[in-house]
Amino acid sequence: MSLVKTFTKGIWKENAVFKLLLGMCPLLAVTTSAENGLGMGAASTFVLVCSNIVVAILRKLIPSKVRIPAFIIIIATFVTIVQLCMEAWVYGLYQSLGIFIPLIVVNCLILGRAEAFASKRPIIDSAVDGLGMGLGFTLALFILGAVREIFGSGQLLGISLFGAGYQPMLLMILPPGAFISLGLLLALMNKVEAGR
Amino acid sequence: MLKDMARLLITLTIIAASAGFLLSQVEQATREPIKEQRRLQMVKALSAVLPEFDNSPDTDIVSLQNGVNKKGEPVQVAFYRARKEGEIVGAAFKVIAPDGYTGNIEVMIGVRPDEMVNAIEILTHAETPGLGDKITFSSWKDLFKNKGLDNADWRVKKDGGEFDQFSGATISPRAVVGAVKKGLEFFRENKAKILAEGGQS
Amino acid sequence: MDNTLYLSSSPHIHSGETTERIMRLVIYALLPAAAVSLYFFGLPALKTLLICTLGCIAFEALANKLMKQPLTVKDGSGALTGILLALNMPASSAWWLSLLGAAVAILIGKMIYGGLGYNPFNPALVARVVLLISFPVQMTSWTAPAPLTTGIDAVTAATPLGEMKMSVMLTGKLPENLNSGMLDYFTGNMAGCLGEVSAIALLAGGLFLIYKKVITWHIPVSFIGTTLGVGAIFWLVDASKYPNPLFHLLTGGLILGAFFMATDMVTSPVTYQGMLIFGFGCGLLTILIRLFGGYPEGVSFAILLMNAATPLIDRYCRPKIYGQVEKA
Repeated sequence: MSLVKTFTKGIWKENAVFKLLLGMCPLLAVTTSAENGLGMGAASTFVLVCSNIVVAILRKLIPSKVRIPAFIIIIATFVTIVQLCMEAWVYGLYQSLGIFIPLIVVNCLILGRAEAFASKRPIIDSAVDGLGMGLGFTLALFILGAVREIFGSGQLLGISLFGAGYQPMLLMILPPGAFISLGLLLALMNKVEAGR
Repeated sequence: MLKDMARLLITLTIIAASAGFLLSQVEQATREPIKEQRRLQMVKALSAVLPEFDNSPDTDIVSLQNGVNKKGEPVQVAFYRARKEGEIVGAAFKVIAPDGYTGNIEVMIGVRPDEMVNAIEILTHAETPGLGDKITFSSWKDLFKNKGLDNADWRVKKDGGEFDQFSGATISPRAVVGAVKKGLEFFRENKAKILAEGGQS
Repeated sequence: MDNTLYLSSSPHIHSGETTERIMRLVIYALLPAAAVSLYFFGLPALKTLLICTLGCIAFEALANKLMKQPLTVKDGSGALTGILLALNMPASSAWWLSLLGAAVAILIGKMIYGGLGYNPFNPALVARVVLLISFPVQMTSWTAPAPLTTGIDAVTAATPLGEMKMSVMLTGKLPENLNSGMLDYFTGNMAGCLGEVSAIALLAGGLFLIYKKVITWHIPVSFIGTTLGVGAIFWLVDASKYPNPLFHLLTGGLILGAFFMATDMVTSPVTYQGMLIFGFGCGLLTILIRLFGGYPEGVSFAILLMNAATPLIDRYCRPKIYGQVEKA
């Protein structure tokens, strides 16, 4: 597989959210606005790329019996780094993502890529795979966040889109809205795929 | 077999140790900025509710006991005092409204020495978006400005007072109004201690 | 002469019951309630009824077209959904609120699953709950009834259930005038959704449906019975905090829900035993939400939740196949 393919498959063909339905917990929980989606996506992408690289470097040294604990330690380390850095330099985003930053540790997408890809491939491939998958995840978070923000609060990235007469549809920024919009988005994606 | 076990142990130990080392480095690098961020957050909330000041209120603190909590432990309320040219021009403190629609509402109140509210700020809440969360709108928070125990009727309009509620949400505004009123009463009772020179910190 | 011999699997005898006939009868049964709502709320009620009904029919036709299906609007289920939706809305609803409700009911509540017969949830209730959560202010801006004869402008008012919840939350006691309005509650002279108001018109419609064998008594009786029974237990324990069962029966959407929405054939169990369990669940959830939940009225949430449990109920109430031996 060429590097380009390794990169692009994560964005569309094997998109973590739209195709594999991985990482649902952060996806549904934090996408109340496009900005939160982007922030969560960026944090996850950073962790994914770093953990993929380190796992790829250590892949021949880690005995297979303890690979899962080893991967988790590596992932948790990078998550903690992200958390500390966000608290130090992007405090607002850190507060709005809250508990979901430490929960990146248990995002199955990250462990999944370490196990399925990085533990078997060279470093460069793994880094590119992590970047592609991470961007695909970010894209999904952004789209869902944008849809929910537009309908749920009449804004996009904090900018009001409609006049004062617009009645925001509260359901969309409440938890059920996450499930309903994800379901409708998936239906739309399938329709687009089937039409091709 | 034993050799295998030893290898597992050693690998995991090395990985964990390096992770620990890396984290300690990052923690050291971020410790100061994080402290600064938290302080800024505090100062931001304080300057939102206090009159103009030239000291640092976050370190000019008087702590008083206000009742006990459910476990019987004393509840400490910290009063952050704002000074201008050495004179105390106001004090800010946190009150908690326990009767919000969904849990506690934390309110920061800034009071001037004449017992009037300078401004209030909603710190944390979990009220329903679109209904109760209108308590965070500045148009509503501004209603509290320059109100004191003696020149205002501390109830929402629905209960005969003078603070607006929102259509569909009376409970959240009522909770905040009640909490601010209690805060003012506490301030009045302890005014001498709060505004005492020096104080304890 | 056509010599083709047609072969098909059983059943070979058709009862003559068709979807159109059932839908028509249910619509007839709703007419008294709709008429009462028009009398009490006047033109705004008519507007809401028309927009919901026509909207539902139009959205169903649109979905048929998009999904390249034959047109299904003639079976009347879309129109029925529209009427039920309107009866679940405040009279003074804005046009866009009604239209959005119709779109949610038909597109998200029904057509996305494949159309009539495939929807797991009652479409009108899906729309009501979506609107209620999304626009709590608009969906709870009730107008007090202003009968056509009085000519007084509509004023806003709270529903009896809403008043009760507010009062219990503030003072821990029921409002004092709670029991004074029973006759008004019975005829429909109170604030509420179009279809929440008149107990007597709804009862007439419901009995008509049972008489015509469109529905059986099992769901309405176990639903209402459970609500009243559990309500009565609480009332006996503390009458100052919990209203009497008659209040529960006559206010809110209990009768509308029990006769017209919980009995929806597609989304309720098929066996009698299953129906009784279904009704019991609806009743229990309704009373619990009314007395302890965040919303004053729980009928729509209760029915939707039990809709979700319907496949499970059907699984456990499967009739024994003839000749089947009980497993030891």
